[in-house]
Amino acid sequence: MVGIIMVNLPTPVGLSVAGYRTLIIVVMAIILIIFEPVPLPAVAMMMLILQVLMGIDTSNGVAQSFMSDAVFFIMGSLMLAVAIVSQGLDSRLALGIIKLTGNKTWKIIIGFIAISAFLSSFIGEHTVTAMMMPVGLTLVKNSGVDKRDTSKLAALLLFSIAYGSAMGSIGTPSGGGRNVIMLGYMKEFGVGNISYLQWMKYAYPMLLLEIPLAAIILWFTFKPKQLILDSAVRKLKVHVTKSGTLKGNQILTIIIFVFVFLGWVFFSAKVGLGIIALIGVFLYLAFGLIRWEDLNRNTNWGVIILFGAAVSIGLHMKDTGAALWVAETTIDWMKMISEDVSILRWIVAVVLTGLLTNLLSNAATVAVIGPIVLNMGGDPLEMGFSTAIASAFAYLTVVASPTCMIIHSSGLVQQSDYLRAGWKMFIMSVSVLYIVSNFW
Amino acid sequence: MLGFSQRSLTNFLFWATQKKWFLITMLVGTILILLPTPSGLTIEGYRIIIIVITALMMIITEPIPLPGIAFYIIVMEVVLGIGSPEQISKSFMNDAVFFIMGSLMLAVTIVQQGWDKRIALGIIRLTGNKTKNIIFGFTAISAILSSFIGEHTVAALMLPIVMTLIKYTSEDRNKVQGLSAVLLFAVAYGALIGSIGTPSGGGRNVIIMSYLREYGISISYLGWMAMAYPLVLIMIPIVSRILMTSFTPEYVHLDTGVRKLVVQVAKAPNLSGRDTVAAFIFLLVFLGWVFLSETLGLGTIALSGVLLYLIAGFVNWEDISRNTHWGVIILFGATISLGANIKSSGAALWLANQVIDIFGSIMEMFPFATDAIIVILTTTLANVLSSSATVAVLGPITLNMGPDTLHLGMVTALASAFGFFTAVAAPACTIVYSSGFVRAKDFLKAGWKVGTVSIVLVIIYANTFWSLFF
Amino acid sequence: MKFLIAVGSKEFSEPTLRVGLQVAKAFKAAVTIAYVGPKVSEFSSSQVRFTQERMEEWEFDRPGVEVLEWAFNFLAENNYITPTMVETGFPKNTLVQTSGSRSEVYLQGTVCENVNLILRNGDIIAELRDEVQRGGYDVTIIGGSQKRRMAHDLVQYIDSSIFIVNKYDKNKSYNLLLPVDDSMRSPKAVKFGARVAQAFDIKVNLITVSKTDTFGEGYTQASKRATKLMRRAGINHEHRFETGDPVTVIKKAAGNDHIIVMGASTKNPLFKFFTGSKPIKIMEDCQCPVLIVK
Repeated sequence: MVGIIMVNLPTPVGLSVAGYRTLIIVVMAIILIIFEPVPLPAVAMMMLILQVLMGIDTSNGVAQSFMSDAVFFIMGSLMLAVAIVSQGLDSRLALGIIKLTGNKTWKIIIGFIAISAFLSSFIGEHTVTAMMMPVGLTLVKNSGVDKRDTSKLAALLLFSIAYGSAMGSIGTPSGGGRNVIMLGYMKEFGVGNISYLQWMKYAYPMLLLEIPLAAIILWFTFKPKQLILDSAVRKLKVHVTKSGTLKGNQILTIIIFVFVFLGWVFFSAKVGLGIIALIGVFLYLAFGLIRWEDLNRNTNWGVIILFGAAVSIGLHMKDTGAALWVAETTIDWMKMISEDVSILRWIVAVVLTGLLTNLLSNAATVAVIGPIVLNMGGDPLEMGFSTAIASAFAYLTVVASPTCMIIHSSGLVQQSDYLRAGWKMFIMSVSVLYIVSNFW
Repeated sequence: MLGFSQRSLTNFLFWATQKKWFLITMLVGTILILLPTPSGLTIEGYRIIIIVITALMMIITEPIPLPGIAFYIIVMEVVLGIGSPEQISKSFMNDAVFFIMGSLMLAVTIVQQGWDKRIALGIIRLTGNKTKNIIFGFTAISAILSSFIGEHTVAALMLPIVMTLIKYTSEDRNKVQGLSAVLLFAVAYGALIGSIGTPSGGGRNVIIMSYLREYGISISYLGWMAMAYPLVLIMIPIVSRILMTSFTPEYVHLDTGVRKLVVQVAKAPNLSGRDTVAAFIFLLVFLGWVFLSETLGLGTIALSGVLLYLIAGFVNWEDISRNTHWGVIILFGATISLGANIKSSGAALWLANQVIDIFGSIMEMFPFATDAIIVILTTTLANVLSSSATVAVLGPITLNMGPDTLHLGMVTALASAFGFFTAVAAPACTIVYSSGFVRAKDFLKAGWKVGTVSIVLVIIYANTFWSLFF
Repeated sequence: MKFLIAVGSKEFSEPTLRVGLQVAKAFKAAVTIAYVGPKVSEFSSSQVRFTQERMEEWEFDRPGVEVLEWAFNFLAENNYITPTMVETGFPKNTLVQTSGSRSEVYLQGTVCENVNLILRNGDIIAELRDEVQRGGYDVTIIGGSQKRRMAHDLVQYIDSSIFIVNKYDKNKSYNLLLPVDDSMRSPKAVKFGARVAQAFDIKVNLITVSKTDTFGEGYTQASKRATKLMRRAGINHEHRFETGDPVTVIKKAAGNDHIIVMGASTKNPLFKFFTGSKPIKIMEDCQCPVLIVK
């Protein structure tokens, strides 16, 4: 409905017809994603179809803009994640953590956050959350008789997993699809070709700073009654030992993943992140470590389509000049409030991204905001990174990111808990980001 | 330690025997790469041909899952330096892939609407209870339906009807062997010949269209129908005739079977408003294909149809996600990318010239020899690969084999539908085979007749009808 | 104990099922009966699956279910499952899909612990191997096959013991042939053989074959132990010592009226792959059921 009204309005000054129409699609898509009257993939399809219908590009043009190395990368890394999870490495992981941390609750929390963050920076946040959640739940289940007694502990553990992996996902390009989208934009806009290692150099310090701070915040928000998780840890150990020793398949799984990672680090500039991820999937299939039926069923195809559509619309925002127009308009408005443009730019980029990412999916946020932010002026590299990092600040709502959804599905955390811990995390992250981006 | 190593050795051996074709393929690929490039061919062109050969070997023997082969193609294109990752990923996607995606999803939606009962009733009303008429009816309806909604959808819709009819005719399988074969093949072959009728009949047609467009030839939906539909109409009676003589049905009348089928179908609820809307949406998609495909692209229209069904709530995304074979979509993307690169690297032209060199003298002697070569080559490949993969790989080559590109392209597209010989050739054949009522050798028994007749028919048709009217 | 019985079709698998269940009964094992259907080309697998879903709407079973139903009837007739289960009939609706190409039904057993029926699709060796690894079965029972290669693959790649029910005729009386030597797996094979002999209540022919004229210390020790075990178990038995090529001797001794029980080869798998092993050769050549204990 809004779309139809907007189509009939006159095109704003300084914007081409095609650009205006692209913006209409963006606005419609955002509305649809927030209220979700139709499934997300349907929104993605609508974005593609409307681009053709409104004459922004030919169907072949749209089809080609839909596909890029980034989409291959997302597809590949989602499949890698499915393969890794299906090999049952999570119990092994649990043992490793417990061995490191001992049985003091506060140590376990730090361990959980650090491991989640570390892992998710390589294999993506939702995989890590999916792997870690059973571990956390086992601990909670075995630590107290009464459900009321353990509610704080449950929240503490689960949030440390969710927020840990959300923070971690900024660490490397493979941490999340949105990072790759941002990389793609940077290349398109001529900002430069950032390699895997360069990205890590920019983003990892931020991650390391956040881990202890997050642990402190969570600890004081949900202070648990159990300060030592003795029996729970013991039971977990027993459970893990039952699952036997490391099998050949699991070793092979890890080896292939390490190869893929090394490929990302050393060859990504030449071969492309997506192709390397696909090599990994190909190897898993060729070695028979995963069946295609499992991949077909467990890969989230809707997300891939959504990614493709988001990238496609992002490119068209740039090509039609819509992105530039929005960027200039926002800056003009902001000038009314304050004169210092550089700070303003930064605030707009970060805060806007942070807020949108809590409503939309983070990839969609980056896809939409990315082209605008890169057009705002200032150092595009810094702006781009700030946006990519800020898109991980999805702490406030259940729908903000897959990780939040996953821990909510356990039924042990309430919607209000997200706000309670989230706002502190949000402010902390924004300020850390500010410090890092200015002094690093 | 010894036990452990023995165990992993066994695992390795098992893997090697299961994947022996994969290993052989890799070996062949390596040897080919080490060989010098043939003269007249760029290094990229040679490498593309190596990828084609290895990929074809793996598709035929299926040592690793098909999507794995798709990833192999994409990866090798980048690794062997045929294009940058961005270029390859762009060549992976075009309107044809959207069309294949859209039509697979539409198939899921349409089959779920439960139109099969209605179709059953319709056929029976038209044909009465004479076996001869029923067979003709099934062939004709399958062909006409599949020309619009694609062979796989039709086979999925029609199989239950046929099976029910067989079951009600006689519970004893041995008594109705001929009848079941003839009816099941009527559905499968009907769907196959129908799929050439319009561009939306199969993904391969859309692939050929996009190749033709690269040569600057644009053919509309109606234009395609004008060229191909007469052939469908000619083939329907011929195929049903051949089937009737290949398998002798045990009954001349299917009285009891038809009566019971009508009773069961009559139990289905009447046409509700919901069904009307679902049919209406499909009609819209069809009209879109006919009138808007030039500007919007077939793929976009197919996706719009899926979107409408999703919005209207006739199907939910989980069903689509689960029942769509994403691997096939990825494989088609990969083969299309391969096709595009065969052309741009000059390998297509080189291969076409090789074929012309070999068959050059024959081609000059007989006027239709070029067509004959294309048809036979395409049909053969279509029977071992899938038809769409055949078109994607062969298309760029055949288009280079003569001056009249449109003619060559259409002949390739038509011939690729003739997957009559094997149970794996086309989804329609596999679906029928999966019922367990026909044996693999039945496909050869009926297939060679239908196949030969079709090949001859296409060659004559292409050189008379088209040259008269186009 | 867990037994896996692989059936191929209604026509040919009756002896396999009969013998398999009898053995399982002797061991009081949980039994899984698996039918592996043909592989579907992947181009059309989703469409085929989809069609099958439609077929269910029209009250047709998917291919393979009728084989399971036949197995169910066999179980019911021979009182392997509880009467209440028999009364309710084949629980078609409880056939649940547990993963991609695998579906199963649980039945309440009487003599055996539990009975599962499983339907799978794909390459038979790969599917059985996967099933054995997943379920941790002790014995896999399968009918004889025309293909020599298959016997080889079964012994080579399936991790459990394997019982090939080759040319079994329920009207013929069988004896048990138990080759004994000094190999690692021999004692286990002897124990197994004793249980099987008790189950079928048949005589055991122990045989020790040496390639040379003399019998080494290990051989005599092993055969003494075997005889003792048979005597204690109260099984009618007889012990022979022969010389010559083991495979030919055993083949000759077995004829077509013995069930052979022997230990698996302990040779290096790579070596076995290229040269084969005694059990594999015996299995390929003999006209009688063979149980290879791993």
